[in-house]
Amino acid sequence: MDTKPKKSPERVPFYRMIMDDFMLLLFLGTTIYVIFYLLWGVMELSNLPAIPDEIKKSLLK
Amino acid sequence: MSNIIHGDIEYTESPQEQTGFLHRVCDITGFKVDLSSEKLIRANAVAAVVSLLLAVTAAILLVFTRYQPIHLLSAEWYYRLVTFHGLNALIFWIIFFEIAGLYFGSTVILNTRFCAPRLGWISFGLMVLGLIISNYIILIGQADVMLTSYTPLKAHPLYYLGIILFAVGALLGVVLFFGNLMIARRENTYGDSLPLFTYGLMTAAIIAVITLASGALIYIPTFLWSLGLIDNIDPAMYKLIWWGLGHSSQQINVAAMVSIWYMVSFLSVGGTSINEKVSRTAFVLYILFICLASAHHLLTDPGVSSAWKVWNTSYAMYLAVLASMIHAFAVPSSYESAQRRWGYNKGLFEWLSKAPWSNPAFSSTILAIIGFGFIGGTTGVIFGMEQTNIIVHNTIAIPGHFKGTVVIGTTLTFMGITYYLIPLIFRRKIIGMGWARWQPWLFFIGLALLSISMIVLGQLGVPRRHWDSTFSGGPFTYNFNPAVDFFWTLMMLGGSIAFISVIIWIVIVVVSVLWGPKMTGPKDMQLTISPLAPPAKSHKGFEAPGTLVLTFVFLLVFLALFFLNWKWLAATWYVK
Repeated sequence: MDTKPKKSPERVPFYRMIMDDFMLLLFLGTTIYVIFYLLWGVMELSNLPAIPDEIKKSLLK
Repeated sequence: MSNIIHGDIEYTESPQEQTGFLHRVCDITGFKVDLSSEKLIRANAVAAVVSLLLAVTAAILLVFTRYQPIHLLSAEWYYRLVTFHGLNALIFWIIFFEIAGLYFGSTVILNTRFCAPRLGWISFGLMVLGLIISNYIILIGQADVMLTSYTPLKAHPLYYLGIILFAVGALLGVVLFFGNLMIARRENTYGDSLPLFTYGLMTAAIIAVITLASGALIYIPTFLWSLGLIDNIDPAMYKLIWWGLGHSSQQINVAAMVSIWYMVSFLSVGGTSINEKVSRTAFVLYILFICLASAHHLLTDPGVSSAWKVWNTSYAMYLAVLASMIHAFAVPSSYESAQRRWGYNKGLFEWLSKAPWSNPAFSSTILAIIGFGFIGGTTGVIFGMEQTNIIVHNTIAIPGHFKGTVVIGTTLTFMGITYYLIPLIFRRKIIGMGWARWQPWLFFIGLALLSISMIVLGQLGVPRRHWDSTFSGGPFTYNFNPAVDFFWTLMMLGGSIAFISVIIWIVIVVVSVLWGPKMTGPKDMQLTISPLAPPAKSHKGFEAPGTLVLTFVFLLVFLALFFLNWKWLAATWYVK
């Protein structure tokens, strides 16, 4: 029986595991973009007060 | 394993015969080249060159229209060709070439097979169909809306459909790239991590997914609106989402271009990044933050707050700019480090003076780095700030800036790497190597003149996308600084030189691919493929002192321009 301790497989550093996981990077990149650019921007535009009717009418004349 | 000899190329069945992986072993690089992938790379590269020809044909007509003494086109055709040029240059040329690059980087470089060649052809077919439909609709005058097609400007529904088809095809191409990566990882065809070149392309592919998803988000409702199925598209909302496509698509270019810079360093001098981990981190910063910069285009829009503008236009506090600064140091230092290890150690710049300048891929890359950094990069950061943007917003300085990034940077880089693709992928010798050696210089000089002239004209208040900036016959007139006449002439000269250079490049590519002598082995290779630079014998001080000095020169130029723009801003709006 072999009494030598078995060599454990080389552990991949956590940092490299994240760097090499393109699905995770895709998720993170998309999430940051969607939250900061898209959702934040859409929320600000959606909360703009509507043009008062009299101004709208004068513009559409 | 079975071998088939066909002509002068040896085709080898792979050990995984059940996959039908038929490839040739490149006699120059030693890579296994999947034959189905090679055909797709060729097809996409050819479509890219055709798109570039269409784009520059429109461009030269536009240059001679904006040059007032000639004023070539009518107003109608001017705006038509602005649309045509924008779509072919910024979307079709670039994305076709990038799809070719993605296939190359995910199969040839990784020694693996293409995951689904049939889907690759469907992707290509959709992209070509999109190109034909959109261009046809533009040329018959049904889509004079310019590339941005801001609502309520409305084009023919087929214009939007063409772009959607192209985007779906491109997205499918990107998905296939990820499929190839998965196969390579599963079959363990590369080492522990992706090669840096492919890693950069992976960055480009991720940005492409974000970009194309934004495109779908805005173009599908706009298509329905053009059909009358939706009543209204809010212009502010349209602009916000459209720029998620418009600007981010140019960030795909940045990632792909930087990847090629690293690749050319490896091919031409045997260079590698002096710290791959840092280079990879810079690519990750791109993935995380570069797409936020789409907000640059909304800097004068009153609908979004300053907080939103400052956070997004600073790429989340300049983290993506930091990434570019890292690459700006890492790429030249990879050349310098390798050259020094080859023995070019005298002084600060022997590594540069003894560099392989006769290799057009090398000279293209170095010139692209200079143009991208000194013209596109500096103006990009300055014009992207809320305060200094106001000096040049909607002026011709903006296209001047992106001539520095997309044209001198990306296009020149793509032109340069093509000189390697002709022998390695098309298996032909380059015809006209003498012309090829000075073509990048001509292109750089032409584009630098064009770009700098446009930036100066913009600083002097000349508007962009304007058929007649003299306002002749209009109720209001404006007298520009007389210096504009000089810069218009310079712009026309630069545009003409750049146009001639592109035509030379296209002729070299077409003639070589169609009629060039077939490659019979490494002896036919006209461009160097360098072995890996030897390890350094001893290491003292900085590994790349020349690059460090050049980086400080760049920073000084940037600071000078930065403060100059603030000075101009103060002069524009006098504050008591």
